[in-house]
Amino acid sequence: MKHKILILLGLVMLMGSCTKDFEKVNINPNAPAAVPLNYLLSQSTLLLAGSAGDPGYKSWRANFIYAACMMQQMASVEVNFYRGTVYTFQGDLSAAYFESSYPNSIKNLVNLIDLAGKDPKDVNIKSMARILRVIESTFLTDIYGDIPYSEAGRGFIDLNFSPAYDAQQAIYMDMLKELEEASKAFNPSASKPTTADFIFGGDLDKWKRAANSLMLRLAMRMQKVDPTNAQVWAKKAIDAGTMNSMDDTFAIKMDNTGAGNNSNANSWNLGAGRNIASGNNIQWAKTFIDMMKTRKDPRLTVIAALKNGDRTLEKQRGIPSGTDATILSTLAEKSLDNYSRAAPNMYALNNPYTIMTYSESQFLKTEAIERGWATGDAKAVFAAGQKAAIMQLNAYGGTLQDADAVAYGTANPYPAAGTMDEKMSAIQTESWLVNGAVMNHIEAWSDWRRTGFPKLIPVNYPGNETNGQIPRRLRYPQSEKGVNQNIDAAIARLGGDTFMNKMWWDK
Amino acid sequence: MKKTLLLSAILLFGLFTPFLYAQEMTVTGKVVDESGSALPGVNVVIKGINQGTSTNVEGQYSIEIAKGKVLVYSFIGYNSQEVTVNASVLNVSLEPEATALNEVVVTALGIKKEKKSLGYSVSEVKGEELSVARTPNMANSLQGKVAGLNITGTASGPAGSTRITLRGNGSISGNNQPLIVVDGIPINNDNLGQAGMWGGADQGDGISSLNPDEIETMSVLKGATAAALYGSRASNGAILVTTKGGKSGRGIGLEVSSNFLAENLLINEFKDYQYEYGPGDKGNKPTTVKEAVTFANYNWGPKLDGSGVIQFDGVTRPYTAQKDNLKKFYQTGTTFTNSAAFTGASETTTFRFSMNNMDNHGVMPNSRLHRNNFALNVNSNLGKKLTIVTNMKYVYEKVKNRPRLSDSPGNANYSLYTLGSAMNVEDLSGANKYDDNGYEKLWNDNIYVTNPYYAAYDFQNNSQKNRVIGSIEPKYQVNDWLFVKGRIGMDYFNYRYRAIEPYGTAYKVRGSYSSNAREFMERNTDLILGINKNLTDKIGLNMILGGNQMRNVNRLTNIGGGNYNIPFFYDISNIDPAARTSSEAYIEKRINSLYGSAEFSWNGYLYVTATGRNDWFSTLAKGNNSIFYPSFGASLVVSEALQMPNAVNYLKVRSSWAQAGGATDPYKLSLNYALSGAHLSAPLAQINNSEVPNALLQPLTSTTFEAGVETRLFNNKLYADIAFYTRKTTKDIVSATISSTSGYGSALFNVGEISNKGIEVLLNYEVLSQKSLTWNASFNMAYNKSEVVNLYNDLQTLRVDENRTRTAYVHQDVGLPYSQVKGFDYKRDTQGRIVFDAQGYPIQGNLISFGSGVSPWTLGFTNSFRYKGVGFSFLIDGKFGGKIFSGTNALGYRFGNNIETLVGREGGIVGDGVNEKGEKNTVKVAAQDYYTRIASNIATPFVYSADFLKLRQVIIDYSIPTKFLGSKQPFRAISLSLVARNLAILMKHTPNIDPESTYNNSNAQGLEFYSAPPTRSVGVNLNLKF
Repeated sequence: MKHKILILLGLVMLMGSCTKDFEKVNINPNAPAAVPLNYLLSQSTLLLAGSAGDPGYKSWRANFIYAACMMQQMASVEVNFYRGTVYTFQGDLSAAYFESSYPNSIKNLVNLIDLAGKDPKDVNIKSMARILRVIESTFLTDIYGDIPYSEAGRGFIDLNFSPAYDAQQAIYMDMLKELEEASKAFNPSASKPTTADFIFGGDLDKWKRAANSLMLRLAMRMQKVDPTNAQVWAKKAIDAGTMNSMDDTFAIKMDNTGAGNNSNANSWNLGAGRNIASGNNIQWAKTFIDMMKTRKDPRLTVIAALKNGDRTLEKQRGIPSGTDATILSTLAEKSLDNYSRAAPNMYALNNPYTIMTYSESQFLKTEAIERGWATGDAKAVFAAGQKAAIMQLNAYGGTLQDADAVAYGTANPYPAAGTMDEKMSAIQTESWLVNGAVMNHIEAWSDWRRTGFPKLIPVNYPGNETNGQIPRRLRYPQSEKGVNQNIDAAIARLGGDTFMNKMWWDK
Repeated sequence: MKKTLLLSAILLFGLFTPFLYAQEMTVTGKVVDESGSALPGVNVVIKGINQGTSTNVEGQYSIEIAKGKVLVYSFIGYNSQEVTVNASVLNVSLEPEATALNEVVVTALGIKKEKKSLGYSVSEVKGEELSVARTPNMANSLQGKVAGLNITGTASGPAGSTRITLRGNGSISGNNQPLIVVDGIPINNDNLGQAGMWGGADQGDGISSLNPDEIETMSVLKGATAAALYGSRASNGAILVTTKGGKSGRGIGLEVSSNFLAENLLINEFKDYQYEYGPGDKGNKPTTVKEAVTFANYNWGPKLDGSGVIQFDGVTRPYTAQKDNLKKFYQTGTTFTNSAAFTGASETTTFRFSMNNMDNHGVMPNSRLHRNNFALNVNSNLGKKLTIVTNMKYVYEKVKNRPRLSDSPGNANYSLYTLGSAMNVEDLSGANKYDDNGYEKLWNDNIYVTNPYYAAYDFQNNSQKNRVIGSIEPKYQVNDWLFVKGRIGMDYFNYRYRAIEPYGTAYKVRGSYSSNAREFMERNTDLILGINKNLTDKIGLNMILGGNQMRNVNRLTNIGGGNYNIPFFYDISNIDPAARTSSEAYIEKRINSLYGSAEFSWNGYLYVTATGRNDWFSTLAKGNNSIFYPSFGASLVVSEALQMPNAVNYLKVRSSWAQAGGATDPYKLSLNYALSGAHLSAPLAQINNSEVPNALLQPLTSTTFEAGVETRLFNNKLYADIAFYTRKTTKDIVSATISSTSGYGSALFNVGEISNKGIEVLLNYEVLSQKSLTWNASFNMAYNKSEVVNLYNDLQTLRVDENRTRTAYVHQDVGLPYSQVKGFDYKRDTQGRIVFDAQGYPIQGNLISFGSGVSPWTLGFTNSFRYKGVGFSFLIDGKFGGKIFSGTNALGYRFGNNIETLVGREGGIVGDGVNEKGEKNTVKVAAQDYYTRIASNIATPFVYSADFLKLRQVIIDYSIPTKFLGSKQPFRAISLSLVARNLAILMKHTPNIDPESTYNNSNAQGLEFYSAPPTRSVGVNLNLKF
């Protein structure tokens, strides 16, 4: 009898203490604990454009709904949605870039920089990741102002759960330093990603020149607020060598598999994913179309088409910004079908996702020369940029010829003998056109805020948040209030969290 | 290790008591109850030496005893009987104890105990209370019936889930719902999918699989004190379901019941919407189709004057108020339930087999819930000492079109609630849903607001669940005081969910496909040693020792993607190959445990119990993964120990203390990567975690203290049970929302501390107890005061949920009760006046707390009358002290639906307050712009008290006396009842919505956004016994 009980007791003990394989049980069989850094570089690059789940999330809200519409490059009669047309606020639209970037691109880039820093052979991946992080941080700070930067994305690495908001000035200084260090650190004898690099396929010289052009972009952004440093960094960038040709344009190569993760985020919204172009939801704005028409811009028939696909130049017509459905019915043309929208080639899923064109780099250089911060022939530099700005559209299905660019250049010459204002107007109008055409609307907005060119006539729509002025920034996510006290100091430095509080470089 | 030793010592303690045997003559016999039915399990003991046996399933026993000695027959719930041995056959009939004083309840691990011996509070609900007035999810029938049990039905349709909490919420982000145990087997009660800020459908929970017809009793173990033997799974209490078994001695019995319920909307019109002004913009009504579409939901047009107005389809219709859209769109729901059960017995076996068929058509058109339950319970006596109890349940559940909730895509409720005041919903139906391509026709400016008929008939989701819950429980009675019991039990289900967004959906033109499969298995293996022995005449010992191994596995497979190639053909093969996604997950956790309990009794009125359990978790790192949970309890039946005044029939005081706890989910300790396909031939990967992992996690601990008194007074007319408790959770594992700028949405901490204190009162009074008329009134009430004591370091607040309006949130705030509804207030000056900007708009102010989304007060009041064969009862229940933010009403401001938006429509509105300089605001703003601004910036106007009183249940029943039916009829009993549930909201403070309208059953309670409408049901129930 006792025997049996002892056996039973033994069994009970066995059941309770058999925990040896518990550690194995708790290993996730579906997600590895380590992966090659190449894989991380590749996905991080794609995350710049949009998150894998909804690739169009931030592009739709920040780039189209706000930036494109505020810049009068695009417009929509759906003023309750495309709020940038009429300067009204909706929390999740205003917050989209912020809310999408940090948990996706910033998080993965910061982690990749950390991992790639552990072994010198990974220095090229590290430098690329540093440059990509500067790009994303530039967009973020230029949209919102002071943002979490130095402590951002470090929730796992440092257990920092409520990062400080860095002052924009400090962010700019650090980004310039990052670009300089990263481009200098490239090492041809270290391991080099090729297929994993969707921008230059592992061409380190192109990366260096791109880093310098990005440096020039940041330097010129500080032109008003800190001309001394602006000059130092512009000179440094130009001396080190900026982009040489259209081949140096910084754009992510995309694919047309149809999967969200492979697709150009802007195309995803205009076409396959959201169909906002063919659905008459967003169209080219009158300001943009009229400007192209006046300037006899050959890009117009590449970028624009009516609903039925008609690309006839004369029939292209933009929607006046601020037009809502009621106003539309008072216009001569009442059918949205007959207003221009992005032509289908503009939203092919494998269009490059363009972050900085060679042409923009040339326009910035022109300005630097004119300000005496660099040497060179401003007119020639401008002309090269102008030509590249036309030919850039061939990456979007255009078939423009050199002759088209030449004709356009003749029609819109550089005012070499003009005032600085006239020169800035010429330079910035070109920048605005090329950034509008390649749908880098956020960059166009930053340029406009700094320079005031091209001159835009604001819309004063009932209920707007800005007293009828074009917004100077977007509002922070309401979701940050209550989870990160540091936002209070940032708002205090900005003087408030409205569309009209000017950020550091916007003087 | 020390703990293991301690347990082993307890285990061994029982073994060194010597056994004695006496051998004189053999006495056999049968023990029956008052009705002549066999009583199995009766203790038959030789007086003085405390040796004996117990009766088998047929009530028979056999014992060796010397002539002239005395046998004592005892059985829980019956008076003991002593018989002097004078023959070799002794048949005995036991009488039940006079009152319910010796009520027996099911306690942890399924052990039946006399209620008077318990140091903690246990409430029992009889199966018929759940089966007469039914709800598609059985848990909702518990509403208002048990003090301290808080049932929150979500507004998610008949196949939705229910939130069950006992004595408040103990964990900030972990599970707060009690363990559900069916016949000794813990069952899965996970919510399989729910709506959040961005919408979704509620995919139901586990308790809804249970068939109320099968339930004999439900024991509600209200806290860790009662459930301590379940260790880490006990911190939120437990609900033990005992299903019906066969009864011996009655031949084959058949019981048949039918139930029909009709259901319609409880709130069938918007009493607080305005119907003076129609759709339009800036005071103008639409003049073109484009305008009609753009302004479809925006009621900012002119006064409804009956003139013609163009609508989205180009048809001109009268510009008049359409108040009946809810009645037109939602249909009358029906639920048909039929069940049959056979019971029977052979010489060694009793069994019960039951079948149930439930068919529900919800108020949402084209939605359906179908459920079949089969259950078999077999109790076999194999020889004298071995019994085997086998339970097997099979549940098949099929659901068609669970309603989408919260955010607008595919959510018919959203569309209904935001429909323009002059739009007749029926004009959106039929062919009018489609455009020329067969796509969803554009009818408003927001492609994400779906045509409600399109949402109901063209969107599809279907699910099937096959579930088997089974257990085999052999028990070997070693001798009269020692038994060994094994139990192996499994809950297994296979769940498939397929959702289709049709080709032509406005917001997703090529549609989408999603198919998910989940295979769930939890296996529990227990081995229990039981000792039941009277140590002396006065001291009894009741002890168990056992071990448990739990293995829990989820296997998930998802395939899906966007973009069909061929229109209107819905299969994964038709999804663009590049857009297809697939994933698999294997999630396993294990817990090993040792446990023991010892109860000493003194003279039948003093009971002292101690229990202990040690759990080892697979989900925590070595060194942090073992924890010991003790409990102590004492109970004193004062009325038996001391002489009491006549008025006091029964008085018991009790007290107990327990620790329980919990661990975390698998794979929370480390950072992992998700392989996310390839791009241009390069493989992709990114961080998989959206929550910062924490390798140092430890188990959380929940400590509960309870004291209570139970009494019967005035000839047992008044019964009162009052409990006071405190419950404190320390080292709570908190998944805290952190700033997304950290890269992560949340982080896991191990530092949370929450306290709950409360009181529960149950009063029962027999107002009348005449022979032909009885009236019984029962009142229960509970108050729970919760406080978040600590979060993490100096963290004062953390966010747990966000409303789609993005102006209101649920937070946990240090120093405040659980689940704070927070939102942006108006900016105010020092005197509290609202501050307006230069353009006359109110400015967004601080994020403030409005109160808890969990009501601290709950009550239920039942009155039952019986006149001869007719019974009538009604239940009123209510909750008080909670808050709810209504997104529906916030958007009602934007869309110009709410009656408040009438102010200032003609001539504008000057907000009452000051400008930023502190001067009186004098700037006039158009009403449309004013209310739109409030809707997207300010939460204050839309936070309401969630107090309510509802007429929850009314039952009229009639048992037809069988004698009236003549002697040749086959029936043993016939009963008929009329039942109604949710008949009326007697009191509420929320315009347009039901205060019980949260759209999910998560820990974040207090947010509403276009949920499924509440319903009332009326029905009839017929029960036949053969």
